[in-house]
Amino acid sequence: MTPLTLEHFLAVGAIMFSIGLIGFMTRRNLIVMFLCTELMFQGVAINLIAFGHYHGNLAGQAFVIFLLVIAASEASLALGLVILLFRQRNTLDADAWRDLKG
Amino acid sequence: MDQLFAVQHAYLIPLLPLIGAMVAGLFGARHLKQESHWPIWIGVGASALLALSLLYGMTFGSASATPPDDASSSNGPLLQPIASAIEAYPLARSVEWFTWIQAGDPNNQGSPTHPQVVYGNPTASLHVSAGCFIDPLTAIMLCVITCIGFLITVYAKGYMSGESGYFRFFAYLGLFIFAMTILVMGDNLIMLYLGWEGVGLCSYLLIGYYTEKPAAREAAKKAFLVNRIGDFGFGLGIMLSFLAFGTVSYFGQGVGTHTGLLELAIGNTAATGFQKLAMHWIPFLLMIGAFGKSAQFPLYVWLPDAMEGPTPVSALIHAATMVTAGVYMIARCGTLFVTNSAAMTTIAVIGCFTALLAATIALRQFDLKKVFAYSTISQLGFMFTAVGCLAPVAGVFHLVTHAFFKALLFLSSGVVMHAMAGELDMRRMSGLKKVLPITNIVILIGCLALAGFPLSSGFFSKDEIVAAAFARSPILGALLLFAAFMTAYYTFRLYFQVFQGPLVVPPAPAPAHGHGHEPHDHATASHSAVETDTAPSSAVDIGQTTHAPAHGDDDHHHSHEPWVMMWPLIILALGAAFGGFFNVHDALGNFLGQSPSFDLAWKLTTVPGANFGHAEAAAEASGGISWIMILSGAISVVGIALAYMLHLRDRAAAERIAAGLEPLTGLVENKFYVDELYQTMIVEPLRLLGRVLYVIDRTVVDGLVAVISRVPQVLGFFLSQTTERGYLQGYAASMLLGVAVILILIFMR
Repeated sequence: MTPLTLEHFLAVGAIMFSIGLIGFMTRRNLIVMFLCTELMFQGVAINLIAFGHYHGNLAGQAFVIFLLVIAASEASLALGLVILLFRQRNTLDADAWRDLKG
Repeated sequence: MDQLFAVQHAYLIPLLPLIGAMVAGLFGARHLKQESHWPIWIGVGASALLALSLLYGMTFGSASATPPDDASSSNGPLLQPIASAIEAYPLARSVEWFTWIQAGDPNNQGSPTHPQVVYGNPTASLHVSAGCFIDPLTAIMLCVITCIGFLITVYAKGYMSGESGYFRFFAYLGLFIFAMTILVMGDNLIMLYLGWEGVGLCSYLLIGYYTEKPAAREAAKKAFLVNRIGDFGFGLGIMLSFLAFGTVSYFGQGVGTHTGLLELAIGNTAATGFQKLAMHWIPFLLMIGAFGKSAQFPLYVWLPDAMEGPTPVSALIHAATMVTAGVYMIARCGTLFVTNSAAMTTIAVIGCFTALLAATIALRQFDLKKVFAYSTISQLGFMFTAVGCLAPVAGVFHLVTHAFFKALLFLSSGVVMHAMAGELDMRRMSGLKKVLPITNIVILIGCLALAGFPLSSGFFSKDEIVAAAFARSPILGALLLFAAFMTAYYTFRLYFQVFQGPLVVPPAPAPAHGHGHEPHDHATASHSAVETDTAPSSAVDIGQTTHAPAHGDDDHHHSHEPWVMMWPLIILALGAAFGGFFNVHDALGNFLGQSPSFDLAWKLTTVPGANFGHAEAAAEASGGISWIMILSGAISVVGIALAYMLHLRDRAAAERIAAGLEPLTGLVENKFYVDELYQTMIVEPLRLLGRVLYVIDRTVVDGLVAVISRVPQVLGFFLSQTTERGYLQGYAASMLLGVAVILILIFMR
């Protein structure tokens, strides 16, 4: 059995990012789209930890802790916004808000 | 002469009028008001004293003294006398005040073979010093400018009082004296050009002084634009001088060092082909500038119109000083001109032609100032003929005497204008000697001088010019004599018409002629054409005091001849009467001959009759009382006699003769339709071209800009229609696409 290398972790991060990206591009539901952005986020976080481990320092992990804190606060804000949007139009479809275009 | 205060502090001569102008300009509107003449009086008066002390020191000082050994130590870097130059020219000094322009590496003297040629030599450097060159020519010019300038500022106090913008007038006047002194003092062509443009600006400002008069504004613009044509040629001439000789300084480090333009122009043996070519064209280019500024034939049309300005301005700028700048320039740059016989012939012929043309037009002018304006053009033509005939001494001599008598005539016509409430049409006045007794006497002196009556100042100077012209070519001399005859006739036509005969004064003030003054109440009241008997009484008591209690009106003059206006006239009349004796025994000529400009030019010329102020040549040219003197005196008397017969004894005669020569009379009265010709041949085509260019600008150029500005607009419209449709995923896709493109660009590189 081959040992886990940097490439494995990067592959996992990339796959997570891609799943999130594809989900964001294909789904209309605001909550699902939001979940997909979180998925992309975590893909990047895995990359950071992997590189940090690879270089043998803790900078990557430190960054990720900050990143998670910010992601958590941002998630609470975003979900609050989604609820507000839902109350306005009674739907979670992102296309309901097309008239916001500039 | 190094010890002279006026030499060591020569910078004061232009500086004092400038300070006066600044004080008058800055504090005149609020604080000085009707006292605004004081700073100018003080500044110009001090300048005049300095200039006179300079002239006095040069003529009577220890000119031939050995050069002081400690000159450099006592005077610091101010004076740069070169011992050999001082021996050769004891009266010439270069004073460098400071470096004005330094372009390029001062140590780089260009190519070793022809160090001075700048053309095709990109490493050459330009050095222009702000400094002055003092020699007899400068001293004479300075005296004329500052002394006549001072007299005219004194006169202007009386003439302009009560005008709105009184301070503005005096500020411009001070600025003019500054520019004019810079013009004649500068030691290089760039300084000359600075003064040249400065006087042009002041001329523009002062012609257009009555800004509320459309004619004055038009005249100011015309003067400025016509002068631009000349100045363009002049500028090209300066540039060509620099290209050919690498310097614009007259004498560089000093006379005798062969570093200045005027001396480099002499050393023709080692000249390159380009220098020879330049020597051929520089005089013609400089000449164009002189023709513009001094109102010679193709470019003279601005001067008659310039009479829209206040009369003191006409006297100072458009008769005595500024218009003579061209003569000064040609006399100063003598060595550039004298070897070029084509250029000298052109100058002489154009000068003679202008003298004739303007004299002819003056025959049938009826406006006092217009007659004198054409007369000025004509007399400037005489001066140009003189310098063109290699007699710059005669030209400068006539410049000096003309400055006196023409300023006198203009100022006298200003007195007439004042007394007649702005009326200047000589057909509407007559016999004014009863109203204006002093003016009658001084204007008679001025007219005699202008007519060249024997022993008046104009007689001597004009005679020298005629003699020089005869020495060059009998035809030229004969034509000048004819012009002198016409001069005598039209001058005395004016005098007899206006000052002699029965008293007639204009019945009512003509509003159109008003020169900004309120109508002179008591003047018009006491001279309403019927009560001729009151005129002598007002003529007897000239002083202001006798009338002052009757009219408690401070802004107006209480006599037709206030003393503040009469004193300058009397002094000028003395100059006009006796100015000719300056040149007794060729004193002026010998003095001017010590100027390097004259001396070096004289050494270059071999033409007989040339008068550069050298005793042997001058004696050959004039030789005491010559037949030319007798002839020109006689012609002047004949002209005056003709004017007497046609305009005093039988006044209808002139009109009968004029009617008999009808097509010719009309032609002359309309000034040969030169203005109309210029209008149709030059102005209108240019205006048409301007309109065409305007349309092209509006459609083609602006259209192109409009089309180009449409491109991003249309692009943006399509982009917004395709990408900004509100689909969240659409934005995400375009972001993704952008990132992808950037990544591809990075990794494919």
